Amino acid sequence: MNRRANQLFYFGRAAARGLRGSPVTTAVAVITIGMALVLVGAFQLLLRNMEELLDEFSEDLQVTAYLDDSVSDDERRHLVSVIRTVEGVEEVRSVSKSEALARFRAGVGAGSGLLEGLDENPLPASLEIQLVSERRSPEGMRVVVESIRGLPGIADLASGQDWVAGYLRAIAIVRGVGIGLSVILAIAALLIITNNIRLAVVARRDELDILWLVGGSRAFMNTPFLVEGFLQGAIGGVVAVALLYAVFLAILPGFEVAFELVLGGEPRFFSAGEALTLIGQGAALGLLGSAAAVGGSARS
Amino acid sequence: MARGDAAIRMYHCSKSYLAASFALQDVSLEFAKGEFAFLTGPSGAGKTTLLELLFGAEQPSEGQIVVLGRNISRLGNRAIPQLRRRIGVVFQDFKLLPRLTVEANVGLALDVLGTPRRETRARVFAILKQLGLQHRRDHHPLSLSGGEQQRVAIARALVNEPEILLADEPTGNLDPDLTLEIMDLVAGAALRGTTVLVATHELDLVARYGKRVVRLEGGRVVEDHRPAGAAS
Repeated sequence: MNRRANQLFYFGRAAARGLRGSPVTTAVAVITIGMALVLVGAFQLLLRNMEELLDEFSEDLQVTAYLDDSVSDDERRHLVSVIRTVEGVEEVRSVSKSEALARFRAGVGAGSGLLEGLDENPLPASLEIQLVSERRSPEGMRVVVESIRGLPGIADLASGQDWVAGYLRAIAIVRGVGIGLSVILAIAALLIITNNIRLAVVARRDELDILWLVGGSRAFMNTPFLVEGFLQGAIGGVVAVALLYAVFLAILPGFEVAFELVLGGEPRFFSAGEALTLIGQGAALGLLGSAAAVGGSARS
Repeated sequence: MARGDAAIRMYHCSKSYLAASFALQDVSLEFAKGEFAFLTGPSGAGKTTLLELLFGAEQPSEGQIVVLGRNISRLGNRAIPQLRRRIGVVFQDFKLLPRLTVEANVGLALDVLGTPRRETRARVFAILKQLGLQHRRDHHPLSLSGGEQQRVAIARALVNEPEILLADEPTGNLDPDLTLEIMDLVAGAALRGTTVLVATHELDLVARYGKRVVRLEGGRVVEDHRPAGAAS
């Protein structure tokens, strides 16, 4: 092992000794970071699921153009060819009145008897317009809808534009609240870690004096405290992920049904990478807090 | 380097903590490499301040100090720890960490150098054996006698083979038998080529070794006595 590796080994031992030597303050720091990250993580989890649902939903986003009953087959084919040339349109599929009726019957199942008394098919023919992926947004859809609106033979246009816009607003609110709350909690956790490490520095003043005496550089004396803060933060992150997972599993059954009913998807927990990111955020908080604590406190 | 080369040079050094109150005043001294000398004088004479100036704990208010070829006043923050690694320091109150074992306490001086753990253990064992403490290496300082604690402190000061050993009243807390035992260990370091400065007010002890004696009073050197043939 080279000199640097030996020093790293020493820093690890010294940090572990520090954590063991003050179990109460260590536990306070770990729990504080853990609780802060549980809330931050809960918002991140909610956002991830909302964004994922939006992605899934966006795949199915399309504009539907309902046609006048007077539109002939030739005119319908012409409309299809015109709409295909509109920028942002990927594919146009024609749905005849009879196909629309068949779909309706299949969709309502036993309730299809409702249509038995009608003399004629009340459902209009339509054109289902698929958008290129870049246009599957409220703004993209609006542009396409405006381009198509007014073409002869089109009676009405429908799209998920308003729904998506509302959903995006909800995501923005969750993100805003999450970021605001995360910043406040991060500052609170940071202050507590800074205070804990500062107490540790004071408690180990004698050790620092002796390290200084035998030629320890400032960096050498500070690093075990940085490692300590880093470990406290990382352990807090692990606690947060474990707690979130426990809560996720506990509320999943009820949540799953609601999710499935409303949006047809399944909620999911963090991936391994996302969980590691949350733990990394804890470690970074710990490192920052300890860096603030040791800054200028060790003898130079 | 020749034996007569200076390990320590002090040029007109003064140290004041308050205006017009000098802990050390216009001190010029030179100690050769491998020299063994005593600093004596009553309490408050400036012995501790002089030693603190030599290992960089304090900076002189006036004058220059060159230790092992480095001018302490001009050393940056990075260079002072490097110099301190070449100087062993022993105090009256031992300055051992009660949480650490004897082995870990002594090993601190090697930890700062990034010495491999296996080598650290071997060197710590060797110095503890030399000082008759190998059987105490897993003990904690508070379970040791005063003499044993001071021997641990000396082991820590010597384990990285320093070029200078500074001892500030190293036997102040010990009974007469232990005092001689500790002083013989310190004198042994000088025999191996280490420059040794011992601050003490115990004149009997000073007389016993027949080495150079620098006497301080009120922060000034009032006597610098070199017995014939007392180079080390």
